[in-house]
Amino acid sequence: MICLVASTCALLWTAPSAVQGEAVVLRAAKALTCEYEGPGFILDPVVVMRDGKIEAIGPEGSVEIPEGAEVIDYGDRWLAPGFVDLHSHVGGSRGDINDMVFQLNSELRVSPAVIPNNSALEKPLAAGVTTILFIPGSGTNMGGTGVLMKLGIDGYEEALLRDPGSLKIAQGDNPTRWGYGMGRILMNYGLRFRLRRGQAYAKAWDAYLEGEGAKPERELELDIFRFLYAGDTQVSTHTQYYQLVLMTITMLARDFGLPTYIDHGSFDSYLTTPLAKEFGVGAILGPREIMAPRPPRFDTDGRIEGTAWGFQEQGMVDIGFNTDAPVVPQEELTTQAAMGVRYGLRNDRAQGLRGVTIIPARTSGIADRVGSLEPGKHADILVCNGDPIDPRTHFDAVWVNGEKVYDAEVGGQAW
Amino acid sequence: MHLRPNQQRRASRPMRLLVAASLFLAPAALASAPLDDEPAKEAESEEDKEEVLVLKGGEIHTGLGGVLRDATILVREGKIEAFGYDVDVPEDAEVVDVSGMRVYPGLIAVGSFGLFGSSGNLDDSVDPYNQNMTLALSAGITTAVDGNTVAKLKRGHVQGLVVNTSAFESLSYSNGNPQGQLKVEQDLKGAADYIRAYRAWEDEKKSNKEAKEPSKKGVDQKSLRILRGEVRPCFNADSRTDLLEIAHLAQRFGFRPIINGCREGWTVADELGRAGATAIVTPRSRRPKDESLLREGGSSIENAATLYSHGVNVVVVPASRGISLGGIVGTDLLHLPVEAGFAIRGGLPELAGLRSITIEAARVLGVDYRIGSIEVGKDADLIVTDGDLLHYQTFVQWAIVDGEIVYDKQAEMFFAHIRPRPESALAPAERMDAGEESPADAPEEEPVEETPEGETPDGETSGEGGGEEPQPSEDPEESEDPEESATTAGN
Repeated sequence: MICLVASTCALLWTAPSAVQGEAVVLRAAKALTCEYEGPGFILDPVVVMRDGKIEAIGPEGSVEIPEGAEVIDYGDRWLAPGFVDLHSHVGGSRGDINDMVFQLNSELRVSPAVIPNNSALEKPLAAGVTTILFIPGSGTNMGGTGVLMKLGIDGYEEALLRDPGSLKIAQGDNPTRWGYGMGRILMNYGLRFRLRRGQAYAKAWDAYLEGEGAKPERELELDIFRFLYAGDTQVSTHTQYYQLVLMTITMLARDFGLPTYIDHGSFDSYLTTPLAKEFGVGAILGPREIMAPRPPRFDTDGRIEGTAWGFQEQGMVDIGFNTDAPVVPQEELTTQAAMGVRYGLRNDRAQGLRGVTIIPARTSGIADRVGSLEPGKHADILVCNGDPIDPRTHFDAVWVNGEKVYDAEVGGQAW
Repeated sequence: MHLRPNQQRRASRPMRLLVAASLFLAPAALASAPLDDEPAKEAESEEDKEEVLVLKGGEIHTGLGGVLRDATILVREGKIEAFGYDVDVPEDAEVVDVSGMRVYPGLIAVGSFGLFGSSGNLDDSVDPYNQNMTLALSAGITTAVDGNTVAKLKRGHVQGLVVNTSAFESLSYSNGNPQGQLKVEQDLKGAADYIRAYRAWEDEKKSNKEAKEPSKKGVDQKSLRILRGEVRPCFNADSRTDLLEIAHLAQRFGFRPIINGCREGWTVADELGRAGATAIVTPRSRRPKDESLLREGGSSIENAATLYSHGVNVVVVPASRGISLGGIVGTDLLHLPVEAGFAIRGGLPELAGLRSITIEAARVLGVDYRIGSIEVGKDADLIVTDGDLLHYQTFVQWAIVDGEIVYDKQAEMFFAHIRPRPESALAPAERMDAGEESPADAPEEEPVEETPEGETPDGETSGEGGGEEPQPSEDPEESEDPEESATTAGN
């Protein structure tokens, strides 16, 4: 009896979402598909979702609607892929993700602090953010490893996209507060020291697994480097001004060959664009998106320069945005993109929207699953009433893994 | 639409504003001159010519709902003299061709700091070359409240900025201070009793000459002014309890409250509407609900829209009332329209969003007889934008205060490099003299990409699906966003 009640409840509970195996079809006026190459949009789209994934997507008539499928017609609304924020500190408990006992903490993991679907993620979900990189704070040079996780999903395993999501390295500014105060010379020395050990460790394991050399002793603080050198995760660098970004590129990408991206790129970091392009370092920007004229730089002719504008002017194509939530609230990720456009980023190919969808997804290596509306990807779909990055646009519904996890008609518009 | 008024030239010209240089010369002139208005005459003779500014070909958004496409505004002596379609343009007028652009009333910041260089008596201490003033103008703000003073951003001028020196009559009425509440109630009651007694006396006086005028002693003057309708009291209140009590107090004594904050207003919007309240809100304000209470609470993105739909007038201010160049963008006075955009996100109609930073702000400050909308006879405080004011990409191209162009995006160092205005719009007069195309006929932008129906994939078509607000009907050939052509031309 109890079993029956429980199963009935479960059935009711999952009522708004897709039952395993059954298809749900969404229709709307336009889909901003955001695939990396291609037009990026479909008029009169039909999206078939099944088992949490997009089974098919195309303009009306080109996609067969499975028999018996539930069809939801959103009328004049638009569809967009769920947004990806690669710099977030609100994926779990906030107070304990910034351990500052040691300056280098590559062995620490943020995963125990994750609280899936926590209340701080309610508004972000209503704002279309469906994937975040939850990372340690920037109080130390190496804060530890973060996780890539989904919003709106209960349960750690269910919400998890990838662990380790990244190795968080922070340069300049915040880590200088450590201990009695630390300068950049010592910090860079410390970083290089740890990176050198990590590189040797990863090489030794590679050699051992290929049958050359003895089995290396397990060192927890260096394990992450095996993931990094295997290309399974990246270094997400909390970096800001161009001197710091310069060090990010030269030290991490050039000297140590680590898969690296600029996270939290701010101010005049665009001065490093040629180097970033040369070493394949991605640019995820925010929350400080402009460089106003101030000492010691007098070469801007008084211009207030957009960080994203600067990167684009010098030929950087893949430019993304992040919030550093709660510094900028998680729900204002699209506002970051909008401000990037305001301050000069050309938006003729929806660069603003791409900067919060496919670009961060590719940068963090999860574009096979999220970041665009393409067959085979997770059905993370937003329903909105206009340009998704316009602050005036709201979201009527948010689907994550094929389940409707937010509906503005139920309980009002959360953001 | 013919809106030209009768040409009633006032006998005395409105006070001409002295530029800083002539002010410094003034003491010398005064020393040699007898005590009459000779310096003023001198200033007048220097500028015999009437100052007439004409904005031609723009899409005029009056701020009251009216939209006039390809229309003309005539500004004389700092006032809007006429606008519409058959406006006579004097030969010597300074004509600015604003084809393809939009003209809005200048924005009003209800709360600011640092725009005038210093606070206090602005006429004495203003720094008219303050960088923040220029930046605020770049955001479209032509009037701001500093402290309790309403002043115009008359760049380069040291006089004539102040519009109103007592913007608000603050009143504190909070549940957290019962004694203070009692005092407010007693004061209002005393004032109400006095007014009643005074009226009775006025009636009685007619029959009885001996009747004694009621004593004013002990009557709170502020309360008296409030109840006489001379000022509207302004409360700082966010919590539902405080808001309810203010609404009840207002209804009991018959005044219309201004409520600054009003975060939980959406939970008691009907009561506030009944009290005739005006709410000064920050749509992005965040406060989680107090979980110990069963009732609704906390902030809501729908706050402004809910208040508006219950008849509360809504004024929008950003979270930061200064100009911030620290890097985080979108939350300060530089982005006042963006903040209004978040109210629209919550359901506020587009027009109400525009009004919340123009005419409603002017009304709350008691200066709507001069500013806040494009109407004949009002001050010529105007902004010209390269697109929908409430779109995140739009930049102010020109800002005009009292008929004078005080900001020109291309002439300033800050934003000239961002989507530069097409060359044709820079010197319109010369170009037309040379018989060249007017900027309206600027070369068609080449489509960025072949997309059906001329749409760009990111949905630049602003306003689309943005709400039920009636938008100006757009001709198909003009549906392109002007800023897009600016982008193409600029690159």
